[in-house]
Amino acid sequence: MDAATSTKLKQLFETKLNGAMRLYLDTCARCGVCVEACHVYASMPQLRYSAVGRAEVVRKVFKRYFKLQGKIAPWLGEVLPMDDQTMAAVSDAAWSCTGCRRCMVWCPFGIDTQMIMSIAKLLLIGADKEPKLLTMLSDMSIAKGEGAEETKASFDQAVMNLAPEIESLWPASPDRPTISVGAMGANVMYVALAGKHSIVPAAAIMNAAGEKWTLSRFEAVNFAAFLGDPKKMQLIARRIHDEAIRLQAKEVVIVECGTAYRVMKYMTGYHPFKVSAFVELIARYVREGRIHLDRSRLPGKVTYHDPCQIARNGGVIEEPRFVISHLTDNFVELQPNRENNWCCGGGGGLVAMGEKEFRMASGRVKADQMKASGAQVICTACENCHTQLTDLNEHYSLGMKVEFLSHLVANALVKP
Amino acid sequence: MPSVSDAVSAATQAAPQAATQQAAQAVSAATQATAPAATDAVSSASHAAAAAGGPLAAVYYFIMVPMVYLAILALVVGVVWRIVVILRSPAQPYSLTLYPAARFGVFAAFRDAFGMRQVRQHKPFFWVFLVIFHVAFILLILAHIDIIPATRMLPAASKHMLGAGSVGVALTVSLGYFILRRFRSPVREISTPGDYLLLLLLLFLFLLGDMISWSNSWGAHGFVMTKKDFALYFDGLARFTFADPRAVLHGSHYHFVVLHVLFANVFFILLPFTKIVHTFFTIPINLLRRK
Repeated sequence: MDAATSTKLKQLFETKLNGAMRLYLDTCARCGVCVEACHVYASMPQLRYSAVGRAEVVRKVFKRYFKLQGKIAPWLGEVLPMDDQTMAAVSDAAWSCTGCRRCMVWCPFGIDTQMIMSIAKLLLIGADKEPKLLTMLSDMSIAKGEGAEETKASFDQAVMNLAPEIESLWPASPDRPTISVGAMGANVMYVALAGKHSIVPAAAIMNAAGEKWTLSRFEAVNFAAFLGDPKKMQLIARRIHDEAIRLQAKEVVIVECGTAYRVMKYMTGYHPFKVSAFVELIARYVREGRIHLDRSRLPGKVTYHDPCQIARNGGVIEEPRFVISHLTDNFVELQPNRENNWCCGGGGGLVAMGEKEFRMASGRVKADQMKASGAQVICTACENCHTQLTDLNEHYSLGMKVEFLSHLVANALVKP
Repeated sequence: MPSVSDAVSAATQAAPQAATQQAAQAVSAATQATAPAATDAVSSASHAAAAAGGPLAAVYYFIMVPMVYLAILALVVGVVWRIVVILRSPAQPYSLTLYPAARFGVFAAFRDAFGMRQVRQHKPFFWVFLVIFHVAFILLILAHIDIIPATRMLPAASKHMLGAGSVGVALTVSLGYFILRRFRSPVREISTPGDYLLLLLLLFLFLLGDMISWSNSWGAHGFVMTKKDFALYFDGLARFTFADPRAVLHGSHYHFVVLHVLFANVFFILLPFTKIVHTFFTIPINLLRRK
């Protein structure tokens, strides 16, 4: 690595040193309580796959360049210089972490490894060693935002073509269109993903509730959040923020995608509209009696996987359970569950990047947990989790059905 | 006054040849004098011994008096500096809360910090030792405050340190567990040399303290220096007299006392710049996930 790159990386590192980050980098006592919290370590017991193992890579670079200790007594903290070998370790740490923050629940200090890994990811971008696929997907999202006007007509047409499928789940209403895109003054602006599976059941549910809703022209997923590029992350989120303001939407509801929800709700500053996860909206409809669900349509024992970014990191924990209680009488919890649930192993960009071999190996503990539940159906409320659980189900021959919660709800709607 | 004469005798033994005569005169004065005069005589014997101690005596004096002030100053300045750096760093732009969120975030952060429930849940055995260690550490601080005459908590006549040696047992045993734990996988693999050195420093510090407090409380003949002697030393420190502690701390075991104080000084100086800074950071860092 040349000196210019090394200097640039040091400067990038410095941009991350806010008060919280300094506390996280300075306080670790290396007590090791976090080690067993990581699903990757639990599945493949190597310390580089533990929270402290990953954080120490970044911490040692921090000590080398930003701490007196690293300058006068580098042998004490085993510092790491900014070179190619270190960057390989940084990459290994960053891309084996899904950012699930389960270790943060374990840590006596509450150190946020995802935050520390955000330094690692930024350094990799600076060193031009980041996963190029995520850069490409992020740039495409931004470009789509910039060229939204040109693709508007074809996008709207494609969406309108979904109407018959939506109507097969919930009949058309004479009062309002089955699906609308970019309509002004909606109560709910629903932000979906690029795929009709994320639109059709949701549309049926909102129609069943008689909601005045419209579809966003952008996809919710924020690839730059996976990539760890804070500027691009804001740009991608900004498209949705601006659209909601332009359309004067009262509430932005995010599709079943954990990262998209957390980014929009918590990581992109103040919004003059409410931000909700789709499962929160469903729970509200059920509670207010706006939709009615048939408990008899879902056979077998059902369990629920808490997506990390929605439950532990987003606070939506009891709503899905409330909804499921209206779908079946045969619900069983995964053990552990809620904030202690095992990460599926697909987050942090791993599903988007492919990485199937690593995902299957690191998801072993998740597969064991799924199997131990004895459930025939596992549902969740996150796209990444759904993909990962589906892959695990197949890889470990679990013989379960992996479902989106929204699909189960759409199929259980009691028609008039 | 058997303790006075014992001490004088010890001081005499400690004095090198050049000072023997002077010391001997002092001893003679002490044995004939009344109690206050005897103290003066002892003091002069000790002075004589210290003055004749050569370069080592100067080093001992530095460790026992100026360095104590410097170490405490370094501790205060260091901690304030660390806090200022964090306060002057940019604010975290988004919430780092973990859910389900606590109803009273500040209360939850205090509970995390003092109850360590994460450790209790996942490593109960480790938790027991952590609690013993931290409670004992607070008692240890109180025990040293108790030595200062102005802030004494135990009866003036008591020969015991607060806890009569039990605080030291608790600290040393729990520290022993921390050391063993660090040598065992997986903690071994995540440990840095600094982690071991810090534990080693504490081990020496505690063992030297144990030697003094255990023998004073439970030894057949006590330690060479009594709690009252240490009270005089602490009183001098508290009143900034800059007097040579050798005047009140007699006997050749003085080396061990100096070592104990040296390790304590090093601990104070290191505190703000090592992970022991968690003493001050545990609550703010826990607040990040709780508020």
